[in-house]
Amino acid sequence: MRKSRWFGLALGAWAMLEMTTAAWTQAKIIGVEGTSFDLVARQDRITLGDGDSMLMWGFALGEGRMQYPGPTLILRQGDTVTVTLRNSLPREAGNVSIVFPGHEVTASGGVEGVLTREAPPDNTTVVTYTFTATRPGTYVYHSGTRPDLQVEMGLVGVIVVRPANPTPTPDCPPVPQGHNEAPPRSLCAGTKFAYDHPDTAYDREFLILMTDMDPRVHRLVEFGRIKEIDTTNFFQTVWFANGRNFPDTIANAQVPWLPTQPYNALFLMHPGERLLVRMATLGRDPHPLHFHGNHVRVIAKDGVLLSSGLGAGPDLSYERYTVVVNPCETVDAIYTWTGALMGWDIYGHAPGDPLAPYEFIGDHGANFPVILPSRDDVKFGQLYSGSPFLGGEGFLPPEHAGLNVGGGFFYMWHSHTEKELTNNNVFPGGLITFLGVVPWNVPLESE
Amino acid sequence: MGPVICDGMSHAEKGFLRNPSRKKEAVMRWKRFLSIVALVSAVGLGIGVCSMAQSNFMVQCPADNDGIDADGDGDPTNDIVCKHLTAGDGFATMADGTVMYTFGFSEVPEDVPPGQVFALRQVKAELPGPTIVLREGQELYLNLTNVGMINRPDLFDTHSVHWHGIPNSGSIFDGLPESAPTVKIGATFPYYYATLGKEGTYFYHCHVEVTEHMQMGMIGQIYVLPRQDQDMVLRSSGNPPYAGFAYNDGDGSTGYHVSKAIQLAGFDSRFHAQHIAIQNLPFAQLKDDYHLMNGRGYPDTINPNLLGASPENNGHFSQRMDARIQARQGERVLLRVHNISTTHLFTVRVLGIPMKVVGIDGKLLRNGSKDLLYETSSLTIGGGQAADLLLDTTGVPPGTYFFYTTNLSELINGQEERGGIMTEIVVCPASGCGT
Repeated sequence: MRKSRWFGLALGAWAMLEMTTAAWTQAKIIGVEGTSFDLVARQDRITLGDGDSMLMWGFALGEGRMQYPGPTLILRQGDTVTVTLRNSLPREAGNVSIVFPGHEVTASGGVEGVLTREAPPDNTTVVTYTFTATRPGTYVYHSGTRPDLQVEMGLVGVIVVRPANPTPTPDCPPVPQGHNEAPPRSLCAGTKFAYDHPDTAYDREFLILMTDMDPRVHRLVEFGRIKEIDTTNFFQTVWFANGRNFPDTIANAQVPWLPTQPYNALFLMHPGERLLVRMATLGRDPHPLHFHGNHVRVIAKDGVLLSSGLGAGPDLSYERYTVVVNPCETVDAIYTWTGALMGWDIYGHAPGDPLAPYEFIGDHGANFPVILPSRDDVKFGQLYSGSPFLGGEGFLPPEHAGLNVGGGFFYMWHSHTEKELTNNNVFPGGLITFLGVVPWNVPLESE
Repeated sequence: MGPVICDGMSHAEKGFLRNPSRKKEAVMRWKRFLSIVALVSAVGLGIGVCSMAQSNFMVQCPADNDGIDADGDGDPTNDIVCKHLTAGDGFATMADGTVMYTFGFSEVPEDVPPGQVFALRQVKAELPGPTIVLREGQELYLNLTNVGMINRPDLFDTHSVHWHGIPNSGSIFDGLPESAPTVKIGATFPYYYATLGKEGTYFYHCHVEVTEHMQMGMIGQIYVLPRQDQDMVLRSSGNPPYAGFAYNDGDGSTGYHVSKAIQLAGFDSRFHAQHIAIQNLPFAQLKDDYHLMNGRGYPDTINPNLLGASPENNGHFSQRMDARIQARQGERVLLRVHNISTTHLFTVRVLGIPMKVVGIDGKLLRNGSKDLLYETSSLTIGGGQAADLLLDTTGVPPGTYFFYTTNLSELINGQEERGGIMTEIVVCPASGCGT
């Protein structure tokens, strides 16, 4: 029991209200597409989930503000990409560079560093990195200069490379055996592909970059005591999903009160849809990401399809309910959910009622198996609709925020190193976000 | 709704509720009874307040009279499993003698009068909680009664059960305090799970205040035996015949003779000390210094006795599970291992016995027709992960072998070395283990 928990949950409630009034949008990957990116390393501040303000070094797009994480670069397979870097950090930060693990990079300009060419903190010198995005997948980029300090300080980002083939189609997801048919095609988000194989199809995609922080380091930098930093004894106490701590993770993207943390990490889907979950970790610690609701099928690591050979597709893929993502590693997985084999009709249907899209036929009309206790006996979660049924609604007691307007099923996706569910000693926080499975009559933004 | 009546179930009725094989005409039976007396007395008032109480609970357990043999074992009346767990507090004793305050689950014994659950089942937290074993096809009605944390009467936490990893869960039974109701002190919440198609190794924990409640010990094991266990032909393909299979593999490749479920966890002694002292909890500094297998550090892991009956725990045995493994030469041993530490990933290893990973996270390592099983001598298991390890003792000389973590700093009980996550596998001669 922590007194400050309610502070956090109040924030979350506010965030969810924002989300619901925005009609369930902003659950997608936000980034910059193109072949030429102008990045500038800048110093700025971010807001932690406990309300603290922390000094950061990060990447900015052109003349924009620094952001944490850096801009997500969305590339197309086969494109030759140019990234320029300028260093506007304070002099004590020293040189900055970018490395792109998984890509063959040519660097020019600036000064020679240990790993690559670097930009000195003169706000003038430009370093140019060029590479061809030969393979689709999820990648990271980060500072290659004193990464033991500069990755901690926030010089990190993600690269998504989309495959040249196959071509996306407007199709609905396929109907699994034993399930009801798909809705009209106009309601579906359309089928896309993660890799160059039809078995990597998905309908929606989401990104979760997991990072961590030792606030002592940032304070020493802020107070001009950078020479006292010992990068061998970091002890992380703050954890991030896409640069935010819970509950900010489930607020909208690009909200004005988090100007340097533009990305959220809220996941939303309809039953039967396939989610491509792009996971990445940068920083000190590995993170076991646990998926409530169902297993994920891991199809790729570090941008490499888990395949026994050319054209075989992800035949070496495997299912997990927890995926450990190590620092500087990326994992791509497909998640889906229909509620099959639950033993009761999750829609609360009577036997003669029409079936919902992708409803598991075997449970249609099956009774809810228990009598729920009286409202006095339980505490309702803020994301409980008042009904156990998908799309349902029920009485909510006074003081309940009523955030689940669509009657969705909300599943926590979180680090199962549970100490990481805190914001510098405050629970809840850290590496928590949510997947909302909402019924098909709640529209989600197409991608 | 009429006034709450201070009634309790008769023993006979309770016997029905707890014994699904006894048929009753009613499909769903429940009774409420009062349960707040103990809490009130614990906070010093010392009076019964039946007539004031608004909190009551019911234990739900329908009879299995549908005539369908859902688990395929030949008996159509045993497909509903009912459990009545309590969530509360207690104390556990570490291998170096340190007594730690805990939260945890325990099962309500048959002989506890229903009106006495609250009074008699407080300070009975077990480490780990009761292991729940199901046959695929069975349905589980898990009734969770919150008996409060009597040593922390300032707390009013709710509790829940999260069946970690169950495929296609419904949020009402997922145990998340954010997206479901969670049960208050003195009340009971019924969880329901169908297990068809969900064979494999899982675990459960409380998801309320989850960092704190898991660190405090609200953790237990749950696994589902595959339908294939009913296939006597496939079982007899083992030599000697298999006791069962880890998964519905179709070919006996996950057959075993001996199985053991082992939970890897840990305690941060400072966190537990701060907790019972009613001080701020050191979340940021969390770092386990006691590493546990089934709630014990070595050598307690090989102690066959019940443990944990400290004076603090009123002489009640809170650590009822060892981690000893014994097999005859030639037998296959299935280890169902999961990691539920709030701070550590563990690398586990067996020296001297070939180890094959046959399942991870409740799934057979197979993709369509492609086998993904592999042999290894060590495996890293992150928090929230489970692995099914098959040890083949064919040709292994009789003797004592060790199953342990290779992270040397986790072979400790606090300041004491040669402890922590380690247990012994005794391989007996093929003729038998003797007395």
